[in-house]
This record gives sequence, C-alpha cells and structure tokens, in this order.
Amino acid sequence: MKFLRTLLATSFVVAITACTSPSSNSPIDATPNEVTLLAYDAFTPQEGIFDAFTAATGAKVKVVTGGDSGVLISKAILTAGTPEGDVLWGLDNTLLSRAQKVELLTSYEPVDTGDICVNYDKQWFASRNIAPPTSFEDLTLPAYKNLLVVQDPVASSPGLGFLLGTIAHFGVDKWQNYWKSLKENGARVSPDWTTAYTIDFSGSSGKGKYPLVVSYGSSPPAEVLYAEKPIDTPPTAVIESTCFRQTEYVGALRGTRNPNLAGRLISYLLDVPFQESMPLSLFVFPVNKKAALPDLFTKFAVAPKNSLILDPVEIEKNRDAWLNSWRDIIL
Amino acid sequence: MAELMERHHLVSKTKTLLIAPVVFLSVFFVVPVANTFLRYFQFSEFIDVLGNQSLRSVAWFSLWQAIISTLLTLVIALPATWALSRYTFLGTRIARGILTAPFVLPAVVVAAGVLAITDSRGVATIIWAHVVFNVSVVLRIVGPRWSMVNHRLENGAATLGARPSHTFALVVWPHISAAVTNAATLVFIYCFTSFGVITILGGVSRRTLESEIFTQAVRLGNTSTATALAVLQAVIIGAVFFITRRSSRPNSTSLHVSSPQPLHTKPRHRITPLLITATAVLIVASPLLATIYRSVVVNGQVSLSAWRSFFSGALPALSVSTQSVIFTSLIFATAAACICVPLALLVTSSSAPRALFSLPLVISAATLGIGLIITFTTSPYEWRSERWLIPVIHAVIALPLVVRALEPATQAIPRSLRNASATLGASPFITWVRVDMPILKPAILRATGLSMAVSLGEFGATSFLSRSGSTTLPIAIAQLLGRPGVATQQAGFVLAALMVLVTVGVMSRA
Repeated sequence: MKFLRTLLATSFVVAITACTSPSSNSPIDATPNEVTLLAYDAFTPQEGIFDAFTAATGAKVKVVTGGDSGVLISKAILTAGTPEGDVLWGLDNTLLSRAQKVELLTSYEPVDTGDICVNYDKQWFASRNIAPPTSFEDLTLPAYKNLLVVQDPVASSPGLGFLLGTIAHFGVDKWQNYWKSLKENGARVSPDWTTAYTIDFSGSSGKGKYPLVVSYGSSPPAEVLYAEKPIDTPPTAVIESTCFRQTEYVGALRGTRNPNLAGRLISYLLDVPFQESMPLSLFVFPVNKKAALPDLFTKFAVAPKNSLILDPVEIEKNRDAWLNSWRDIIL
Repeated sequence: MAELMERHHLVSKTKTLLIAPVVFLSVFFVVPVANTFLRYFQFSEFIDVLGNQSLRSVAWFSLWQAIISTLLTLVIALPATWALSRYTFLGTRIARGILTAPFVLPAVVVAAGVLAITDSRGVATIIWAHVVFNVSVVLRIVGPRWSMVNHRLENGAATLGARPSHTFALVVWPHISAAVTNAATLVFIYCFTSFGVITILGGVSRRTLESEIFTQAVRLGNTSTATALAVLQAVIIGAVFFITRRSSRPNSTSLHVSSPQPLHTKPRHRITPLLITATAVLIVASPLLATIYRSVVVNGQVSLSAWRSFFSGALPALSVSTQSVIFTSLIFATAAACICVPLALLVTSSSAPRALFSLPLVISAATLGIGLIITFTTSPYEWRSERWLIPVIHAVIALPLVVRALEPATQAIPRSLRNASATLGASPFITWVRVDMPILKPAILRATGLSMAVSLGEFGATSFLSRSGSTTLPIAIAQLLGRPGVATQQAGFVLAALMVLVTVGVMSRA
C-alpha cells in the first residue's frame, strides 16, 4: 500500500515536472542540431538557402512536407499539441481561424503574400481581335461565353480564393446571383488547379479550350522562368480587378520541443535573404519591405495595391454556408 | 483417432504460420483504424448521415457507377483474358504489358490521358478510366487459373458434341468461376472506393463515398461526418464480400493439372483472339499513348527537350533529381514487396479465414491515413515521420490483392504430391521448398509485380504521411503538373510516360 502511494506520488511529481518544465525553465531545445519545418508539398525553397541559418545556429533545417495546404493543415489540426515539427509554413488567411480554434500555433506572423486572379491567354484574344475582359462583371457578358475555367472551391485553394473574391466584391447577399450568371455564361468548374491550368486552359502547356483561368498573380513570371524555349514576355496576363489577396503565415507549433530554434527559424524566414529568395522559388511576394524583387517579378507579376480581402474570422464563420450555397448554385 | 490428432496437429501448425501476418496487420492497420473510429465516430452523426439527402445520393452514385464499371470491365477483360491465356500470337507479350500497366499509374496520369482524348467529364469518362485501371486486375487474377484448365477436357466435351457455349458453361466455368468472382469483387471495391479518378474526372457533381470522406475530413474539417461515412462504406463493402463469398464457395478444386497448358499457335485459331485483344488494348492504351504524346509534343510541335533534360537528371522547380525520385520509388516498391509477399504466402499456406486479410479493402484510405497520424504520435511509437512506414503501409494495402493473386495457385497444388513427399519422410519445410515452391514460382513472381505496382501507384493513405526528401514518382508527377510553366508540366508528363513505358516493358515479361 505504501509502495503504491509512493509510486503514485512519484508519478504525479514526474507528470507535473514533465508538463511544466518547458515553461518554467528557460526553454532548452530537445534537438539543438536540428529544427523541423513543416510545409506543404509545393514548398520548394531555393537550394542551399538554409546554409546560413545552419552556420549561425549550428542546427540543420529539416523540411518535412505533408500534402497540399489543405491536407497539411488538417493533419496539423488533428495532432495539435503533439506536432510533427517545430515550425509550420503554409497556413493562409482562409484557414487561419480554423487552426487557431485549437491553438495550433503559439504565435504566428505573415511571411508572404500573393494574389489569386483570373489569368488570360494573350495570344487567344489578340488573334481574334477581342479585348480581354477587365472585371468580374465582364466575365458574364455574351462576348466571353464558355471561355472561363475555375476550380472547385471545396477542394482547391485558388478556387476558394476566387469565390471569396466574388463575395468581397459583390457582397454577402449578391454574390449568389453573380455565380448564377457565371454558370449561365458557361463557366467550367474543374476539380483542382492542375486540371484547370494544365489541361483546360489554352495559354499554358495543355492548349485546352478555355482562354480564361483562375490562377495566381505570379503565374506569368513562372511561364517565363519555366518556358520550354527561352521567351522575353509571358504568354499570359492577369486581370487585376479580380485579384483576391492571400496571406501565408509562419508560426511555432504548440508543443514544439525546440522553442528556441523555432523562434530563430521564424526570424530567419522573415529576414531579407530568405524573403528575397521566395519570388523565384515559391512565386510569392515578400512581406519584408527591405527585400528587393527580381526583375521578372517587377515586370510581370501582379500584386495590386487594392486587392480584395476578407477577414479570416468572417471566412471561418461562413465558409461552410458559402460552400453549400455555391454547391447548390453550381450542381 | 490418430488421424484426428494429426489433423489437430496440422491445424495448430497452420495457426502458427499466421502469427506474423496477424501481428503485422494489427499494428499497422487495425490499431490505427480503431483509433480513428474510437476518437471521432459518433452514432448520432451516423444517423444524421443516413438521413442526409445529399450524402445518400453520394452513396447511391458510388454504388451504381461501381456496378456498371465492374460489368464493363468484365465484358472487356474476360474475353481478352481468354485470348491471352489460351493463345499466342505476335504481340501477346506487349498486349499483356499494356493491359496491366495502368494499375501502376497514378490516377492523375490516366485521368490526364483520358482528358487529352475527350474533353467531356462525367460518368462516361469516369467509367472508362475505371475500366482502364481494372482490366489488369481481371487479367492478373483470372488469367493464371484459366491457363491451367485442361484442354483435353474441352476437346473431350467438343468431341462428345457439346456446343462451345456448353463446353464453356460445363467445363471451363467451374474452374474459373471462383477466380472471376474474386476479381469482380476486387474491381467493384476499387471502383466503389475510387478517389483519384473521381476527384479529377468527376467535377464537382460526381462524388463517391471515398472522395466525400476525404472532403469532409480534410477540406471541411468534419472528422466525425467523415468517420460516419467511412462506417457506411465499410458496411456496404462488407455486405458485398458476404454475398460474393457465399456464391464463390470453392468448389472441388482438383484441377487435373497443376501447370499451365500449352498455348494454341496455329494461325487459323487466332483471328478471334487477336481481334478481341486488339479491342481491349485500344480501349486501355489510348490514354497511355496520350501521356507519351504530351511528353514529346509542345504547342503542336515535336520537342524532345523535356526528355533531354530528364536524362541530364534535373527536374525543373523541384529540389530533387530524377535519379533520386526513381531510386526512392523503387526502394519503397521493393521493400513493400519483400514485406508483403512472404506474409501473403504465410496466409495462403494456412487454412485461416481470409476475412481479416481483406480488411484493408473494406476500410477507407483516408480513415487509415488519419489513424496513422494520430496513433504513431508519441514515443516509443512515434513513427509517423519515419521513412520505413511508407513501404510498410504499401504492404498493408497490397496484402489483400497479393493474397488473392496467390490463392488460386496454392489451391491448385495437388494434395497427393504433398502427401507423397510427407510419406517419403520430407519435413513440411522441405515439402514446401520442393513441392510448393516450384509450382508457386510464377505466381510468386506475379504477386511481387502486383505488390510493387500497388506501392508505385499508391496515393491514398500514405499521402497523409509526411515526407522529408523522399519524393516518389506519383508525388513528383503531381507536383510537376501542379505548377505553371510549360517546362515543369512537360517534365511531369515525361515522368508519367516513363512510368508507362517501363511498366509496359516489365509487365510484358512478368
């Protein structure tokens, strides 16, 4: 009996110290030689970009990828508190509220921005002497019938961005009517960005039938950088008034075993060298004002000053209802 | 009495054979899946799901498209299986390779191929893609059995005046019916739980239970709705198993022969089989050719630049080389086969009920995926980011299929041979090596191929696992096709075309 009591008491003390040690002591990292950055599959940083971090801290950066941004964030939410890494890259303004409901991150900061905008095939419109559309409203005109391909907002993050853009532009009561007209005007809904851009869209590799596609403000410079033969100007351009602002955040995961290193890595990601590497490796805009943009970006990428925006809390509150009414309209 | 004791002894022997597979499946499948259900399943949610009109229509669509896909697959695959297991003609090998290749390919590749040919999405394209994927299942499972049916029996029936249809019904069918039911059940389950094909070709209106489970769990964050749907899916698949098991009770399996029969080679016999095979190849090969076409044609012009940069080893936009992608895929596939095939042999050598080993077919991939990340989370079981977990899960998923591929062959081993060997004093192990092994060898090779194929193409449960530098082919393809820029996309199609060419090559030899 006494033995049992001692055992219980000991395990209680152990449990208490185990629970409180990270906060009571000054944080000591569990693995001082390695810090893990959790990111989505499309996170392809410039080669060697973390060498300077390793030189300064003695810790290697292990990049662990886990699916597209939706999969990554859902997984992180399911395991909130017992994270698979120290720092999370890839939470955006459409998912921020959902993640913070379970306190996924102890702290977070914007790390990059980008825009989701309608792109068009320049050649297609030029060869037919048709002026490309310039607004959401234009997309419902008979002149642009059967020309637009969008993505399913349930499955695709640009698809959701475009839907949110229409909600921001038309208002929470009017966007439904707009989508009815879009549907009547023959807008095609593809399941994801890949199908829409590489198969349906006429302006990239797929040579599909649709000269208008929902993509990113940074897609034109990517077309130049990854052209099949070197080209001077992109074959595609962006309709600026349709751009919806996407902000990505970086933060320390609650339960990280390396709080020190996590903090240092976040600072590193926000510092000029990494921020300047992002445009041509990740095709996003830096948030650090001191970071200079490459020529390709200043010339061809689009980041309007007045992009459409919505409050993350508003998005989280209404997302399911909006998606359901969107499904009702489209199906 | 002695006989009874001996039988008892035999039973306990076969039971010890099962320890390894049972432990393996429990740790890497049963525990994670049970964990998901225990944590997220709510009975009230299940009742809500049953009452929800839109989710009911999802279940109904899953069911009817799967039935039609299965029937069409059988209509196209069975005649081709007959032709390829009874006849040989110019191109038999390559035809076999083409018909079995799609099984390995990621859905994104086949779907892109289908879309390159027809622009329309919807039920017809979905069913076509399902046929493309599943002809190989029928060919692989029914083919070996059919090739063992003794020609003399058929000739005898014909001599006695039976019409071909009668010969088929009375002589051939009893030998192959179990394999056909087996294959049809598998095809049905693959179509019923279809995920990749549906998300790409189904648009927003066509959803299966599996794709809806994924949407609810991952896109909408409704894990309890997702698990309720997973239970519904498991119940339906369980019912299908129950029905097909009853109708495919192994009839007496004495096959009179235990080795493949010689193939017909005379020209006059070969017109019909040739035409049948050609039709099947046309249906299956066109999306594959479209992939190759897109890897060499840019803007309407032939260009080999993507292939050239492929051989130089660089992949645009990705921070891995082609060599490492291919190497990783092959290592995973080999490791998965090394785990899966021995376990499957243990299962088929024992007289155990197969139900447990069919479980990975019944349970939704997303449910397993969620289970893995919430189960292997704390030390000493913190395995979720371990690289070895990926081939292990591939082995779990391949196990039911590999067991089925081995089963007809193990059943066809004449008991008399084993008895003779035992009478001559050989230990069970020696008997296994000397008697079973030589007969099983072709089936084991096929099973290894199947297991590797599952591993190369798997894109469901393991997509929930995180990776650090271990990019596999399907992931690299999906990532390359998932970026703007002609060069990146073409590189994606080069990898896809490479998978097509290599698999056709390998499968035409296997």
